[in-house]
Amino acid sequence: MNKHVKTITPETSDLSRRSFLVGTAATGLVLGYAGVPGIGEALAAPSNFEPSVWYAISPDGLVTVTCGKADMGQHIASTMAQIVCEELGAKWSDMRVNLASNDPKFNDPVLGAQITGGSWSTMMNFDAMSRAGAAGRMALTEGAAASMGVPAGELAVRDSMIVHAKSKKQMSFADVVKSGKATKTFTPDELKAIKLKTPDQYSMIGVSVPQIDIPSKTNGTAKYGIDVMIPGMAYGAVVTPPVRYGATVKSVDDSDAKKVPGFIKAVTLDDKTQTTTGWVVAVANTYANAKKAAAALKVSYDGGPNAKVSSESLLDEAKRLQKLDDSGQFFVKDGDPNAAFGTAAKVLEAEYTTSINIHAPMEPMNATAEFKGDILHIYSGNQFATRSGAIAAGAAGIDPKFVVMHQMWLGGGFGRRLDADMMVPAVQAAKAVGKPVKVIYTRENDMTMDFSRPLTFQKVKAGVDGDGKLVALSHDVVSAWPTQRWGIPDFLSPSVDKKGPLDAFTVNGADFFYSVPNHHVRAIKNEMAHNATPSGQLRSVAPGWTFWAIESMVDEIAAATNQDPAQFRIALLDGKGKNDGGAQRLRNTLLAAMGLAGYGTKKLPKGEGMGVACVSSQERASASWTACVAHVAVAPSGEVTVKKLTVATDVGTQVHPDNIRAQVEGAAMWGLSLAMYEKATLKDGGIEQTNFDGYTPLRMSQVPEVAIAVIANGEKATGVGEPAVTVIAPAIGNAIFNASGARVRALPITAEAVKAGMKA
Amino acid sequence: MPTLTINGRSLSVDAANDTPLLWAIREQLQMTGTKFGCGAGLCGACTVHVNGEAVRSCQTMVGDVAGKKITTIEGLSAKGDHPLQKAWIAEQVPQCGYCQSGQIMQAASLLAKNSNPTKEEVVAHMDGNLCRCMTYSRIQKAIMRAATEMRTASAAGNERRPT
Repeated sequence: MNKHVKTITPETSDLSRRSFLVGTAATGLVLGYAGVPGIGEALAAPSNFEPSVWYAISPDGLVTVTCGKADMGQHIASTMAQIVCEELGAKWSDMRVNLASNDPKFNDPVLGAQITGGSWSTMMNFDAMSRAGAAGRMALTEGAAASMGVPAGELAVRDSMIVHAKSKKQMSFADVVKSGKATKTFTPDELKAIKLKTPDQYSMIGVSVPQIDIPSKTNGTAKYGIDVMIPGMAYGAVVTPPVRYGATVKSVDDSDAKKVPGFIKAVTLDDKTQTTTGWVVAVANTYANAKKAAAALKVSYDGGPNAKVSSESLLDEAKRLQKLDDSGQFFVKDGDPNAAFGTAAKVLEAEYTTSINIHAPMEPMNATAEFKGDILHIYSGNQFATRSGAIAAGAAGIDPKFVVMHQMWLGGGFGRRLDADMMVPAVQAAKAVGKPVKVIYTRENDMTMDFSRPLTFQKVKAGVDGDGKLVALSHDVVSAWPTQRWGIPDFLSPSVDKKGPLDAFTVNGADFFYSVPNHHVRAIKNEMAHNATPSGQLRSVAPGWTFWAIESMVDEIAAATNQDPAQFRIALLDGKGKNDGGAQRLRNTLLAAMGLAGYGTKKLPKGEGMGVACVSSQERASASWTACVAHVAVAPSGEVTVKKLTVATDVGTQVHPDNIRAQVEGAAMWGLSLAMYEKATLKDGGIEQTNFDGYTPLRMSQVPEVAIAVIANGEKATGVGEPAVTVIAPAIGNAIFNASGARVRALPITAEAVKAGMKA
Repeated sequence: MPTLTINGRSLSVDAANDTPLLWAIREQLQMTGTKFGCGAGLCGACTVHVNGEAVRSCQTMVGDVAGKKITTIEGLSAKGDHPLQKAWIAEQVPQCGYCQSGQIMQAASLLAKNSNPTKEEVVAHMDGNLCRCMTYSRIQKAIMRAATEMRTASAAGNERRPT
């Protein structure tokens, strides 16, 4: 994480700390909402034992962990339960999960807000969940000791049972909860002083227990936002303008819509949060009718300032900005690359681009809004309850403290559900028609109104000395700034040249672990792209493009200086100075991938090649060390077949080995999909691709052989949802070069580009 | 008011004949296991069975399925224990899970006809079903596991229930 990402307000900080106080849950429950009726919906039955806000044990012995993180398929709810379970000593089959509301007491203990991303969750919650679990075990043990009349120190806890070996007495967790004797409380200092288990004592951490949510996802019972049913609710279908952002509605003619049975009203959004522009919602008694009514509405627009912008104009503008000496702010400023280029034996320059990419989770965006008394209830799967609640409140014109967010399982997130646009039409439609409204985007709405991964342009210049050593690198990154769009200063980073804050989520990864004495990285905001294609955080965010440039360029340097690209990287990972520790771990991971792939051990047939890449995604402070060896075949036509991807990743500690493999494989396939198959384009201010015919994520027939090595060396647990996304494209690009001599510098990779590169 | 024969029950729905079956199932009958993904037959999230064939319910109109036997994920097995559902759990397939009802229904129509498919047959049959979490390799493994179980069960006859 970036160190400056901490609390959004001091108030939430206090509450999140309080949420750790074992025994104070009863007072903590209503904090932040005192005096607001109807809001404490998370209140558990009084007979439950709630050792912390994070879980409750009912008199039947079931332990329900409340997960404050959005579960979008990474099984984070189950993971939180597993961490609690380890220290609590419960039986896995007694564990249940519950998804948290936006009550600040469920804020992330490190981030001080409810936001899920960055592959941060396990790393940032491991300690808090462990301590919550341990405190519960101690309280239950003391309660049992009092009931049994034996010293607490003689009791052992296992599988939800508390056993006194000498007297053969035992009590279950359920017995202790029913006895009402679990009353021990902890001060923050006492909580901090709890001695947690050491890894050799783990019996749950490191075990691939069955994920709690999976059975419900095989029989249709898991409830996503789109499945919410509120008595008396209506449905909304949105009509969005041809321009992604900046259009306004000039007029709405609903005369034909009025002929649609069940049509209720067309609502033109007045979005003071500026999340949406020029949207109209057609409200009807069913979604099918709402869609019919939406299609029947005749809306005329003023296209606004971005109506002529295209992918080409965004790229031209990026190139113009990059050429200016005073553009952007410095993210890294070590030494003096420009001076070093003057004395270098060889200087290389290259430009790398990535296209606009669309999240397209399988569950299209949706939200249900219901006004009940003073409270606005929002039902929607969302990754950023803290901010999204405020957006919903802004759309309603009320104070955010009157908004209750009901979290649901997310039918895919990938960063898309950090945004709250879908709540705006739901809220304003519900207000306008006086009943609850569920708004569901069509796939066309979902794609054309995505907060997409921005188009990026990167220029990298490298200087090599007479011994083939990389001595200077300057790296300019031009893009829209997705995280600056949030308007939350704490998520921005100070620039090294003190030119004001920059959006580090556009340059993370460029501060790599290679030792390069002269190294500059500039973050340059493409204002035109920022306005025309409001961008979002797409799985892996900046490292998804920065490593495309870096790991391609490192390969280009190795080729230009006749060095093996893997050995060249190993030499750069010397662990000197600020890179000590991380560089060695990355080197070892690269070696593991090379070993598993048989890199350099056999001669490949003509037209085939292997390429390597290694990354420290997501951020320097939260890296999961990840390396890939890609094995490809390149046809004379330029067509690329990815034969095999070998991925190694050092995650420190494995909470759930099978889940890590699932996440790494899913991330790697995302990396492949972005590298080869996914491209969106902007024309006349609008995204041209509207459904899965024009925008084409990986399908089963495109899955290559995949080998994964997970390295667990006892260091702290790191995230796995994203890093493997970032390593694939450069590994494939480098493998293509190895196979055919064609250097590709634009994502996605096309057969045409490869063929053109072969001729050059 | 059209009547649908769905999961063995006869249910009337208050929907026009040109309403996509998907929305009648989800909203009228409140069976939400069948998912909306693209509305264009491109992703397979809405897959159900009509007379045993896998169809995209977003492209099937209510008026076209009157009198036909419709099966949704809720009706695939009595207790969520179809060999595919058990295999999905054994292989821990779902991540977000949103596409998985459609994946399971699509796979079930294959195994009903061919309980010994090759990998190529599985891929050809499943390629229209998108999974944005990219759980494809586990889906393949689970289908093969379920196929094995179905073959074993049918070889053992009705007396020995598969475990």
